[in-house]
Amino acid sequence: MAYLSEIIGRPVIDLDGKPVGKLKDVIVRPWAEFPHPLIEAIVVELKNGEHYLPFAAVAALLSPVIPLKYRSDEIPTFELMADDVLLSRDVLDKQIIDTDGARVVRVNDVELVRVNGTIYVSNVDISWLGIIRRMGLVGLSQSLGGHLKQKGISWEDVELMHRDQSMQLRVPAKKLHELHPADLADIVSDLNRLESGQLLDSLDVKHLADTLEEVEPEFQVELVGHMSDEKVADVLEEMNPDEAADLLGDLPKERKEDLLALMEKDDADDVRKLLAYPEESAGGIMTTEYASIPPDLTAAEAIQVLRGMADEVETMFYVYVVDLDQHLIGTFSLNNLIFAAPGQKVSDFMTDRIISVNLTDDQETVAQIVSKYDLLAIPVVDDENRLHGIVTADDALDKIIPTAWKKRLPRFYR
Amino acid sequence: MIETTAPRKRRVLPGFWKRILIFLTIFGPATITAMADNDAGGVATYSLAGAKLGYPILFPLVIITILLGVTQEMGMRLTVITRKGLADLIREKFGVKVAIFMFGALLIANIGTLITEVAAIKTTSTMLHIPPIPFVMVIVLVSFFFVTKGNYKLTQGIMLVASLFYIVYIISAVKAHPDWGLAVTNLFYPHGVDMTSAYLRDFLLIGMGVLGTTITPWGQFFISSFAFDKKIEKGKINYSQMETYWGAFLTDFFSFFMIVATAATLFIHSIPLVSGEQAALAIQPFAGQLAGTLFAIGILNAGFMGLVIVSLSTAYAFAEFFGISGSLNDSYQKSKTFYILFGIQLIVAMVVALFIPLSLFKVAVFTQTINAVALPPVFYYLIKLTSDRQLMGEFANNRFQKIFSITCTVVIVVTSLFTVATIFIKT
Repeated sequence: MAYLSEIIGRPVIDLDGKPVGKLKDVIVRPWAEFPHPLIEAIVVELKNGEHYLPFAAVAALLSPVIPLKYRSDEIPTFELMADDVLLSRDVLDKQIIDTDGARVVRVNDVELVRVNGTIYVSNVDISWLGIIRRMGLVGLSQSLGGHLKQKGISWEDVELMHRDQSMQLRVPAKKLHELHPADLADIVSDLNRLESGQLLDSLDVKHLADTLEEVEPEFQVELVGHMSDEKVADVLEEMNPDEAADLLGDLPKERKEDLLALMEKDDADDVRKLLAYPEESAGGIMTTEYASIPPDLTAAEAIQVLRGMADEVETMFYVYVVDLDQHLIGTFSLNNLIFAAPGQKVSDFMTDRIISVNLTDDQETVAQIVSKYDLLAIPVVDDENRLHGIVTADDALDKIIPTAWKKRLPRFYR
Repeated sequence: MIETTAPRKRRVLPGFWKRILIFLTIFGPATITAMADNDAGGVATYSLAGAKLGYPILFPLVIITILLGVTQEMGMRLTVITRKGLADLIREKFGVKVAIFMFGALLIANIGTLITEVAAIKTTSTMLHIPPIPFVMVIVLVSFFFVTKGNYKLTQGIMLVASLFYIVYIISAVKAHPDWGLAVTNLFYPHGVDMTSAYLRDFLLIGMGVLGTTITPWGQFFISSFAFDKKIEKGKINYSQMETYWGAFLTDFFSFFMIVATAATLFIHSIPLVSGEQAALAIQPFAGQLAGTLFAIGILNAGFMGLVIVSLSTAYAFAEFFGISGSLNDSYQKSKTFYILFGIQLIVAMVVALFIPLSLFKVAVFTQTINAVALPPVFYYLIKLTSDRQLMGEFANNRFQKIFSITCTVVIVVTSLFTVATIFIKT
C-alpha cells in the first residue's frame, strides 16, 4: 500500500539511470466492471513542460526513485481520454461525495494498492492522519496510525464532483441513484450551486422529483431557477401534486403560468386546483391522488380496481367510497378489504362514520384531528361533503412542526 | 451544464422597485462584515484617535473606505462567481500546507481579537455598573445558543439589528456639539490644528492603527464564507458588488461620528485618554450623561458583534480548509465540529480575558502582529484567485482592477508591517 502524496514529487529516471524529471500526477481510468480504477499512466514534470506516459513504460512506480523501461529519447506518449482522472489534479484536496455516508468531504490523500503488477486506487483518505502525512510528518502519522482508526472511504463509494470547471458528473452517476432521496437532498444542500445543479442534472426525472421534494422550499426554488422550463415541467408532473403546487406557488407568477402550460393537462389541472386554495388550509396541503371507488363493487372487484390505481396514488392506507357525484359516503382500510369475503359488497364492510376536514380548515386543525384519531391520512371535503383530496399524516404534521425544530428532533422521529 | 440550457430571460430591465427588492435578497454579508470591522477594538481605536488628534484624523477615513470597499469586493466577487469560499479555493489551488499555515495564523489572530472584545465588554460593563463576569458569560451563552439553534437567516437578522445600534454614535456626536464644518472639511484635507512634528508622528502612527483594525484577515475570509452560506446567485453579482461598497461606506460613516464625538470633547479640552473604552466616561462632562451611556452601549454592541463574527470566521475557515460541513443552516448534529469550534473560541477568549491577568496592550500588539503577517498572503491569494481567468471567466480582474487592488494591498501591507515595527521599536 502506498499514498499518492508520498510518490508525487519523486524523481523519475530512464533506463540508463539518467534523471528525466519529477512525478507530477497519476492518471487512472474508471471502468465499468470493477469499482477500483487502475493506474493507466503517469505525468512527469520535465524541464520544459510535462509529459504523459503510459504505465507500461514504468518499471516500478512505488519506489523511492521511479525507473522507466525506456531511454529518455524514446519514451512513449499516452493519449488522455475524456473520462480519465488525474488523481492529484482532480481528487487531492478536492471535495468528493461519500455515497456511503451521504456527505461531502475533502480528500486529504489517496491510497494505492499493488496487485499482480498493476496498481489500483483503493481508498481516499479523509482523516487527520492524511493531513499530518501531507505536512511531511510521515513518521508521526505512522506512529499515530496505530492508535487512531483509519478513516478511509472505499473508491467504490466515491463520486467525484470536481475535475476542471467544465466537468460534468459522470453520467449516469450510478452510485448516487442508489441513495435515498432524503440523503441526496442532504448532499445537494451541502454542495455549492454549480455542483448541486450538475448533480441534479445527472439524475433522471423520477429521482430528481423525489429529491426536490426533500429539499427546503427556498432552496427548491433556487435549484429550479437554473433548469429549463421543459425539464421543470417534467419534474412537476412527476412530483406529488401537493408538493408541485407548493413549489409553483413559490415561483414568480409568469414562470408559474409558463410551466403549467407546459405540463400535461391532467397533471396541470390537479395542480391548478390545489393552487386555488390558500397555502395554509386543508385544500392547500392536500393531494388529489387518492383511491376512491363506488359502493356497489364486491370486495374482489374492489381489489382488482385498486391494483390498477397503484401507480397514481400516493398512499393507499384508506380507500374512500364515493357516489356518482363524488359525495363521500364511506371509507375502509386495506385490512377491512382483505378480511372481507370476496363476494361481500363494499357498502357492507365500509364504515360510514367518517372523520374528515373541510377544504378551508386551517392546517393546524387538520394536524390536531389527524393526531387525535391517529390517522395516516384524512379526507378533505367541501361544504356539500364532496371529496376533493386527502392530507397524509406526514404532510399535516410537516406544516405544523417548524423545520428548525424538526431538525432538533432525534433522527428516529423524523 | 445548467447555465447554458437556462433560458436567458432578461428581456426587460427590472424597474426601480424590483431592483430594490433584488438588492434586499442579497443584502447582508457585506454590510455585516464591514460593520463588524468596527468591533470593540475598532471603536476604541477610533475614540483614541479622535481624542488625541482631533478632527484631522478624519482625513484617512476616505482612503480606508476605498481600501475596504476594493478588498471586500474581491472576496465577494470570488465567492459569488466560483460558488466557493476563499478558504475552499486556497486549499484546492495551493494545497494543504498553505491551508494549515493560513488557518493557524487566522486562529491565533482571531483568538487575540476575541480576547480584546471580551476585555472591552468587561471594562465597559463595569462603567455601566453591570457586573462584568456574569454579563460576559450571558453574552457568550446567548451567542452560542442562537448561532447553533438558529439558521443563517436568524444570525444575519440579529447581526443586522446589531449594525443598527451604531446609530448611537451619531447621537453621541451630536450631543458633543462639534464644529461640523471643520469636521467635514477635514475629510478632504487635514487642517485646524498645530501640525508639530510630534503631532505628525502620532498622526501617522494612529492613522495606520485605524487602518489596521478595519482591514483584517478575518474580514476577508468572513465576507466570502458568509456570502457562500447565503448562496447568492451569480446573476445578482452587480447587486452584491454594490453592497460591498455600501457596507464600506456605512462603516466609515459611523467611524466618522465616533471620531467626532471624542474630537469635539476630549481633544478640544486636551483630556488624555489611556484607552479607547475610557472615552465613554470621559466624554460625559462635556456631552452629557446620555452621550456617555450611549457611547458605552455602542462599545458593548460592537464587542458582541465582534465576538460572533470573528469566531464564526474561524469556524467557517476551518470547515472550508479541511472539508467538514459548516453552515449556519445545518443542525448541530451535522456540523458539530463547526459549532464546537465556534463555541470553544468564545470560551477561551472569555476565560483568558476575565480570569488571566494579561496585559491587554500586549495582546493587542500580538494580534496586530499576526494580522500583519497574515495579511500579505491573504491578499496575494485573493488577487491571484480573482485574476484567474479560468476560474473567474469574464469576472476576472481586468488590468485596472489588478493594478488598483495590488496598489491598495501594498498600501495596507506596508502600513500594517510599519505599525508593528514601530510598536516594537518603541517597546
